[in-house]
Amino acid sequence: MDIVSDIAVIRPELFVAIAGMVMLMFGAFRGESSTKFIYWLGVGVLVVAGVLVLAGPTGTSLAFNAQFVVDDFAVFVKVLLLIGAALALILAMPFNLREGIDQFEFPILIIFAVLGMMMMVSANDLMSLYLGIELQSLSLYVVAAIRRDTLRSSEAGLKYFVLGALSSGILLYGMSLVYGFAGTTNFEGLATLFAADSEASIGVVVGLVFIAAGLAFKVSAVPFHMWTPDVYEGAPTPVTAFFAVAPKIAAMALFVRVMLEPFGALVLEWQQVIWFISLASMLLGSFAAIVQTNIKRLMAYSSIGHMGFVLVGLAAGSEEGVTGILVYLTIYLFMNIGTFACILAMRRGGRMVEDIDSLAGLSKTNPMLAGALALFMFSMAGIPPLGGFFAKLFVFRAAINAELYVLAVVGLLTSVVGAFYYLRIIKVMYFDEAAEPFDKGLGREITVLVTVTVIVTTFFFIGLAPVLSGAEAAAAVLFAV
Amino acid sequence: MLAATLAPFVLAVFAPFVRRRVGDSAGWALAVLPAALFIYFAQFLGPVASGETFIFSTEWVPALGIALSFYVDGLSLLFALLITFIGTFIVLYAGAYLKGHADLGRFFMFVLMFMGSMLGLVLADNVVTLFVFWELTSITSFLLIGFNHDKARSRRAALQALVVTGGGGLALLAGLLLMAQVGGSMELSTLLADGDVLREHPWYLAILVLVLAGAFTKSAQVPFHFWLPNAMEAPTPVSAYLHSATMVKAGVYLLARMNPGLGGTDIWQIILMSFGGATLLTGAILALRNTDLKLMLAQTTVASLGLLVFLIGIGEPLAIQAAMAYLFAHSMFKGALFMVAGSIDHGTGTRDVRRLSGLGRVMPFTAAAAGLAALSMSGLPPFFGFIAKEWVYKGTLDGSLPLLLTAVAITGNALMFAVAFLVGFKPFFGKPGDTPHKPHEGSVGLWIGALTLAALSLIFGLFSGLAETFFIGPAAVAVAGVPMVVDLYLWGGFKAPVVASIITVALGAFFFWQGARLSAFLARVVDALWGPDKGYDQFMDGLIGLARAVTNLFQTGHLRRYMLFTFLTLAAVLVLPQVMLGNGFVVKAPPIDLLVWAIGLLAFVGALAIPFTRSRLAAIMLMGVLGLSVAFVFLLFGAPDLAFTQLMVETLSVVILALVLARLPVFGTDWRGYPRFVRDALIAGAIGIAMATLLVSITSVPLDLTLSEFFSARSYTEAYGRNIVNVILVDFRALDTLGEIAVVAVAGVAVLCLLAFRHIDHDSEDKPEASS
Repeated sequence: MDIVSDIAVIRPELFVAIAGMVMLMFGAFRGESSTKFIYWLGVGVLVVAGVLVLAGPTGTSLAFNAQFVVDDFAVFVKVLLLIGAALALILAMPFNLREGIDQFEFPILIIFAVLGMMMMVSANDLMSLYLGIELQSLSLYVVAAIRRDTLRSSEAGLKYFVLGALSSGILLYGMSLVYGFAGTTNFEGLATLFAADSEASIGVVVGLVFIAAGLAFKVSAVPFHMWTPDVYEGAPTPVTAFFAVAPKIAAMALFVRVMLEPFGALVLEWQQVIWFISLASMLLGSFAAIVQTNIKRLMAYSSIGHMGFVLVGLAAGSEEGVTGILVYLTIYLFMNIGTFACILAMRRGGRMVEDIDSLAGLSKTNPMLAGALALFMFSMAGIPPLGGFFAKLFVFRAAINAELYVLAVVGLLTSVVGAFYYLRIIKVMYFDEAAEPFDKGLGREITVLVTVTVIVTTFFFIGLAPVLSGAEAAAAVLFAV
Repeated sequence: MLAATLAPFVLAVFAPFVRRRVGDSAGWALAVLPAALFIYFAQFLGPVASGETFIFSTEWVPALGIALSFYVDGLSLLFALLITFIGTFIVLYAGAYLKGHADLGRFFMFVLMFMGSMLGLVLADNVVTLFVFWELTSITSFLLIGFNHDKARSRRAALQALVVTGGGGLALLAGLLLMAQVGGSMELSTLLADGDVLREHPWYLAILVLVLAGAFTKSAQVPFHFWLPNAMEAPTPVSAYLHSATMVKAGVYLLARMNPGLGGTDIWQIILMSFGGATLLTGAILALRNTDLKLMLAQTTVASLGLLVFLIGIGEPLAIQAAMAYLFAHSMFKGALFMVAGSIDHGTGTRDVRRLSGLGRVMPFTAAAAGLAALSMSGLPPFFGFIAKEWVYKGTLDGSLPLLLTAVAITGNALMFAVAFLVGFKPFFGKPGDTPHKPHEGSVGLWIGALTLAALSLIFGLFSGLAETFFIGPAAVAVAGVPMVVDLYLWGGFKAPVVASIITVALGAFFFWQGARLSAFLARVVDALWGPDKGYDQFMDGLIGLARAVTNLFQTGHLRRYMLFTFLTLAAVLVLPQVMLGNGFVVKAPPIDLLVWAIGLLAFVGALAIPFTRSRLAAIMLMGVLGLSVAFVFLLFGAPDLAFTQLMVETLSVVILALVLARLPVFGTDWRGYPRFVRDALIAGAIGIAMATLLVSITSVPLDLTLSEFFSARSYTEAYGRNIVNVILVDFRALDTLGEIAVVAVAGVAVLCLLAFRHIDHDSEDKPEASS
């Protein structure tokens, strides 16, 4: 065991961990007056971490007795989630400072959550997997309830915590079952074992399903989605924006790795499970969203539906499917951050408004904002040539090639239903009688973020080639024997 | 070619600025682009007429075979020319029609975007490119229909059109991707060159159904025809352009394009002929039922689209020529008539055919355009419409069921004849009617387009060789996929088609004569029936009802409901695999040990009693009993330290839970009713029993004892300790233990701090300043 080379592998994580602790000390001694500085420090830390991730060793390197792995897949996803977290943090700053959520702990909790996510993405063992998940989850529970003085936020945090703890229990139970039968927790060890003897015993199957259920909770797939709308609505909007992006990406990457690496040989056992939750998520995400009147709840159902689409790629169980997932997550990140930036601009008389109806006539009162939001909605509906279309295209191609026709058909069907409710927002903005205008002045941060995400979403097809080649290289890692 | 397709999009972005700069005459400035594009495409006429085709390709996503590739042959060129030619006049017309409208700039933007999308659609060679432009036309159509957004009907129509055509578009995408999968290429020119590969593949039917779903929704075939008349809520330039001349023909274009690849089979013929025929009759009958000029025209458009699909379905060379000729004729006369309807509306303030008469004197140019176009539409010589109709009859007489097909065509055409006269002549003759404002002729932009198109109907009728060489011939060859001789003429002797024409005219004249009575009669009958338009509303209501039901079921906002579903899933996960795969556990003879049995009984009774107790405190106590029996089990099987830990933890949990709950308002008796009680008990029971059987089967497999052996072998030799658990804690995993101690210590400090802060907070209630 060479500790020096191990540390070289975990350099980004180590940096984030130490930086987080330093920030905590700094905040503790300087008090709330340093909050704004700590936000920017947090963004800086995430940027540096991104650089470190990219500057890391190429190829696949293992560390700490193969508990931890850095490969192309991990690098791709880490970069993605660091971008997401940094953008969400920038988005959160002006809002939180204005709304009196001025605890300096907020950015620090985000940093620790990101650390947990990086662990999840690089986990190569059931133990390190759990470690990552818990670090992430515990930070997120607190962040969801950061607004202790409002009932909605604390209720959201409590619900999230209770259900999250339950799912962690399920996950842990599944892991111990698997360990009990396989005698190892290491991904490679498990993979070799199952490859040699693909006749899985009932204990392993149940354990596997339990693990899948625990992970399904983290990506808020049906039937473990129930927390999502309540938490999305109850948590402060920037927190929701963060929830919609970084943890979803990390958990989905973990899901993909766990299913394909250690349990890759048992694909027939888990494919049905993924098939079911993917189908159920797409259906529920699209149908239940129709009647929502709160835009944050709508986004919750939208994300449930999107995760269903992403899981189609996993159900395919192929390299093509994983490529599709990564492309999907990339564009999902930018669409969501952009949409939430627009939602954050929905203010009237200094107060946040969240009703979809309050967007009425936005095209008159604020044409730029309306245009941007319309673009994101079109993209989410999967209308070409915007980014969201390519996301769906890749995933469905994989499904068709894997002969999962039912999923492909239901996916198309739910896309239509999904398009219906996304377009309803556009209809409200462009065609309905103008409501009272929103407050002027979006703030520099929101303007910049909306502009950036609009550009990425619109011109995604130009930059598709490099993203695609990166995603292909990342996906190939999981299938390398 | 790429530049030509994208140019309208670029100009669209600047259209609002042009409007602001130039003012209301912006239409003249903006019309330069479509005119220039028309000239650009016209250059291809010569080479294409002599049989050449062109492919222009730009890389897009090479890894997936997606390219921005465009294919110019007779069919796509015909469409491109129609789009740009009519587009030029539509831009002029819109400038005059919407003069002074606040959002005219935005209107131009949408129209130009549509023009670019439509060009891309008909020229695209790559299936993904085709789909991209296909959906773009749906979106721009949505924006244009909803242009008068202050009207609820407009908004409904816009959304309806988008839901129907956008949904069909997705089906089309699936069909195209399957085609690409089967044919091994993303390029239509490659795929369609070898149609047998597609036709003989087992997926043929799936591909066909998906592609047809796309085409039928777009081209408003029965039962999707309802969106098109509703789309007439759009301003008239849009109706003239999108909903008669171009966009609605995209479905027909697609069928024509796919003909060499997918066509020619029995199923193709049956589907196309029956749907097309049904649409022709439905549209024609509904046209007579209406009295609004635009709605009448819209319904005849539906009928014409049906006729086109019908002809493509027949598939014989003559029928294909007829389809292309009719398409060409229709674009001209229907575009002109729509513009006329708009001019009349503009000049008089109404479109109700019952109130319009005697306009000929005050609106001479409009009247001339209307008359010419109506003559072409009614299929009278020497107009091009006559040739088209003659060829339609040639085509139907050439098909497999000549009499039936011809009868369908004659009925449809006769009805359209009547409508043509109602729209094109009735408003202009007779005594001046009672109109909302005094009729007047519009500016030049309002009638120039209609007059030009109508005049062309006559010119191409007289010089049919021109149309044959440059438009109909190359297009028909492209559709059929094989060379054929095309020879259009006005008069070919007194043969069967001419007889059919005479019957059509006679029947049409009768319908025209009885127009008012027929219309009133149809209105009574048709309106009483259930139609797909009502079905659409019912479907949408159903969708919303379903959504509400789903939300009410899952998303109650109550944590206990969420827990219920989580545990329900858990139970399913535990029970289902064991039921399906079989559990395979062996019941061993139970050990005859009274103590074990006693403890087991204790645990069992404790567990069983929990669901039956109504007091929360008692439930907590019973949980404690359960934990206690587990501790006893540990004790019995030689793990006293574990038993001790378990005992401590159990005791503490019971005490803490009881203490905490006692202070909460939820403490007290259970409020659940009997049914819920049973339900919860069942779920708990299912999980418990399934878990137990699982555990039994797990213990029947020999455990991996490597670790136990490792520690029992080394704990004395290496760590000099006999108690293995102790040795593990303080020696083998000493660092872990240190960490744990540190964490506990830090937590203790934190608790202490919190307690200290509590005091500060209490103080601060008196003097708030101190808190900072």
